[in-house]
Amino acid sequence: MNSIELISIIVFFLGLYGLLTNRNIVKTIVFASMMEVGIIMFWLSIGFTEGMVAPIVASMFEVDNYQVYISDPLPQALMITAIVIGISITAIKTIMFITLYRKFKTTDWDIAKIKSKEVSKEAIQKG
Amino acid sequence: MTTTIMSFWLFCNIFVLFQKKLLSMILWLFLSSIIASLGFLFLGSPDVAMAEATASAFVTIIFIVCFENFFGIKNLQNFIEEENSKTRENIFKKIILPAFVVLCTFALFMNFLPQAPQDTYLKNLYILRASTDVGGQNVVGAIYLGYRVYDTIFEALLLLIAVVAVVHLSHFDGVYKKDGKQSEVKNNAISLFTVRIVAPITVLFGIYLIANGAITAGGGFQGGLAVASFFICRFLIFDIYDIPIKKVNKLEDTIFVAVVIMASLMVFHGFFGEIPPNYLPIAQNIYLFIMNLLIGIKVACGFTILLYRYVAIERN
Repeated sequence: MNSIELISIIVFFLGLYGLLTNRNIVKTIVFASMMEVGIIMFWLSIGFTEGMVAPIVASMFEVDNYQVYISDPLPQALMITAIVIGISITAIKTIMFITLYRKFKTTDWDIAKIKSKEVSKEAIQKG
Repeated sequence: MTTTIMSFWLFCNIFVLFQKKLLSMILWLFLSSIIASLGFLFLGSPDVAMAEATASAFVTIIFIVCFENFFGIKNLQNFIEEENSKTRENIFKKIILPAFVVLCTFALFMNFLPQAPQDTYLKNLYILRASTDVGGQNVVGAIYLGYRVYDTIFEALLLLIAVVAVVHLSHFDGVYKKDGKQSEVKNNAISLFTVRIVAPITVLFGIYLIANGAITAGGGFQGGLAVASFFICRFLIFDIYDIPIKKVNKLEDTIFVAVVIMASLMVFHGFFGEIPPNYLPIAQNIYLFIMNLLIGIKVACGFTILLYRYVAIERN
């Protein structure tokens, strides 16, 4: 396990701490995207040693002689899809927050919870 | 070198944690993402670095445009959390319990990490066989268009679902009216330089990335993101809202179907022989180019719609 893996795990847990301690909805969205970058960095740094190059192979000569110095292509292919999914999920989170703000006029998780309970109680009483 | 960048990245993330104002928090997150993309480049993965750099710019634009329109820029600067009384229970709830949970999960996580060196069987297999099995020189592109094409299909589906969700949740059917908010920057030298010189070069760079995705670093996702940034730049500076959203959405749907058909042709043909099937090099290159082009157009359409709808929320 190298130092980059350790740093990315620490960043992931910094994001988790931010998620747990903030009541502001927008801040939790920001910390969720921070955790995502930590995960991507962890995947890319698995099995990395200093001086590795990109997995673009022009000839079999390169493969035979420099195979040790080519970085692992599989996590990179997975992480490109993860990044695009991450943006679209961030967009959905923000748009859901905006609809919630329009309804309850708050940016706080606790107040939003209380207000949504009130709304559901009123709906039950009305039948 | 890599360790230095990583420590900068760590400090940026710690700064994000201690910011109180929302705007500075978003800007610190943007800085940390940019440094992370530099780190990806030094980790030997230029494809992911390009995608992350554009992605961080997109997320920052979404946050700032959306909240600036919604709360106003003055409120955004002072958008501090609602005051809470500092009782003992609150300190326990806010610091001690979360820190305990985080430390416990951290310890568990560290315990499950393997200490043995990484198994390089799959890596060697992909590097050896990618150029003959799928074609091209970029092994990353060969993996996400050949060996693991199901991942790409589901990623495209998820982007489509995100666009549908955003379009559905931001009700906007009326005619767009200009409110003249952006008119102050219209004749600014920097904005003119951006739109007339930088943005066309960005589009050209995006097309280059899509066309050469099989040979060098790049591909459909990165090129599509670069092309989409042109439309966003044009809208933010000149306030032009002339893109027919419904038609673009329909185009995206059609292209998604085309991606599925193209990929399933390759995969189902492979059921009778090898997976992936051994085609002629010219057929392989045509397949890679068409897939990159389709994915590029699809990603560009999707992200253009996403940001246009975001701005449309306020103008409703």
